Amino acid sequence: MSEFLSIENVAMYFGGLHALDDVSFDVGRGAVLGLIGPNGSGKTTLMNVISGVYKPTYGSVRFNGKRIADVPTYAVCHLGIARTFQVVKPFANLTVRENVAVGAMYGRNGHNRGAHASFERAQELLEIVGLARVAGRWASDLTIPDRKRLEVAKALALDPEVLLLDEVMAGLHATEVDEALELLRTVNGRGVTLIVVEHLMKAIASISTTVVVLAEGKKIAEGAPAEVLASPTVIEAYLGTRYAERQRDVQP
Amino acid sequence: MSLGGITGNVTALRVTVGILVALAFVPLLHNSYYENLGRGILMYATLSLGWNIIGGYTGYVSFGNVVFFGLGTYTSAALWQHWHQQNIALAVVCAMAVGIALALVLGVPILRLRGHYFGIATLGIALATQEIVANVDWLGAGSGFTVRPLEAYSAYYYAMWIVCAASMLATFLIARSKLGYALVAIRENEEAAAVLGVDPTRYKVTAWAISAAMAGAAGAVFAGANAFIDAPTAFALDNNVFPIVMAILGGVGTVAGPLVGALILTAINETLWSHFPQIHTLFFGAVIVLVVMFLPRGLLWLLNLRGGWKGLRASVGAYRA
Repeated sequence: MSEFLSIENVAMYFGGLHALDDVSFDVGRGAVLGLIGPNGSGKTTLMNVISGVYKPTYGSVRFNGKRIADVPTYAVCHLGIARTFQVVKPFANLTVRENVAVGAMYGRNGHNRGAHASFERAQELLEIVGLARVAGRWASDLTIPDRKRLEVAKALALDPEVLLLDEVMAGLHATEVDEALELLRTVNGRGVTLIVVEHLMKAIASISTTVVVLAEGKKIAEGAPAEVLASPTVIEAYLGTRYAERQRDVQP
Repeated sequence: MSLGGITGNVTALRVTVGILVALAFVPLLHNSYYENLGRGILMYATLSLGWNIIGGYTGYVSFGNVVFFGLGTYTSAALWQHWHQQNIALAVVCAMAVGIALALVLGVPILRLRGHYFGIATLGIALATQEIVANVDWLGAGSGFTVRPLEAYSAYYYAMWIVCAASMLATFLIARSKLGYALVAIRENEEAAAVLGVDPTRYKVTAWAISAAMAGAAGAVFAGANAFIDAPTAFALDNNVFPIVMAILGGVGTVAGPLVGALILTAINETLWSHFPQIHTLFFGAVIVLVVMFLPRGLLWLLNLRGGWKGLRASVGAYRA
């Protein structure tokens, strides 16, 4: 049992819809956990539960020995858990630098950082994620890939121990994906634990230490990337029974 | 680094500070019409600055800020009626304290409501408070209070000027501080703000309390200058609606916008009043509609606009369904 971050029997019901059902897994400090699953399998819901946006119907999330299921969203971030949004939420009428500075001001180390220091921190992070060239632009003017980068910079500004990344590579082309992976490795190298939700299997396989697969709100597989991605159950969940059967027929 | 992006256009701010300084000399004209007009502008600018903190910066449109103004006037009037206190500074401090206390008590429950639900709740509070005050004997009930003005009548002008200048300075300092960014983050996207560690309830209540303090201070000075207070005067619809329109006309979420809006709207109102006394409210209503239709982000924002007429048309279009 890991002491760092544990998802314990989490269930999330929206009326009759069981978005998550009895999901449990542990994340070790410094790990990179890939969270995959078909559309609607509950990945984003789980991100929302871990980051405190949703309170789970059952179960709990334990972080550094502390139950965080009942902690308000803003306080979860003070404990050291940051997240990005799949549907990006930039502060449209602030500049890119200001967007990131808000995170630096109110994140985990925000209380001992003034406005000026927060802007400096924001500038550093924009250089790391490759947005320094548009630091003074309105966030509403950014392209979609740049908005994804902005989400990452804002989350990093919180000085997190755990970073939840919700499809930050969607819509990026091959070179940009490589750059993004490089960035995530750098961040992870500094001791930040990552939980990565992504549809790009190649990206997941190359960066994750462990992969958890969700389907229809349930955990259907967990393990090393290579074995999980080859598992018939996972292929079936993603591509349907018939495709899985055909694969079985083709292979000896 | 230049001024923070949330103070608004820097040139506009400089010009507006110039206007504010010029307004300080109006009593030297010894013309009571201009003095009353100038004090009105300063009062509306203060109310508008107050509304701008919660409605403009934080994005929570309050239709009830007149409550704080009204209770400010009553605080000032009660100090004279019950304790024979004429001291303007004392009245202002007490009125601000009353406003802040009420904003904290009401804010914690109703600022949990989002957007227009908050607006409706504040409107309800404004109507209810007027009815309650009009029925309390200690506050003069239906017949109101007389307030004996100071001999040196211009003292009210200077007091209103100080209250207005202080409100503008406070807004400027807030816009350049961490607090300002918390408020704007809440306006832009409350959920995203919370994920970045901003406690929305705490900062919304803080914003409303600051808003209330400004409105209360303006009310306290108004009571002395007006010499008479009753519920319809203190909680007048104009004092609720004008400040909102002024902020929108000048530019919501900017430091200079409210004073610019107060100047222009007062000028329009005075002109219409003197030329079309019967139907001036109709014209005034038309001005409000036109502003909302064609200048949804205010006059000052035009200064930042790129692309001339094309840019203007595109930006107006952005607010259309």
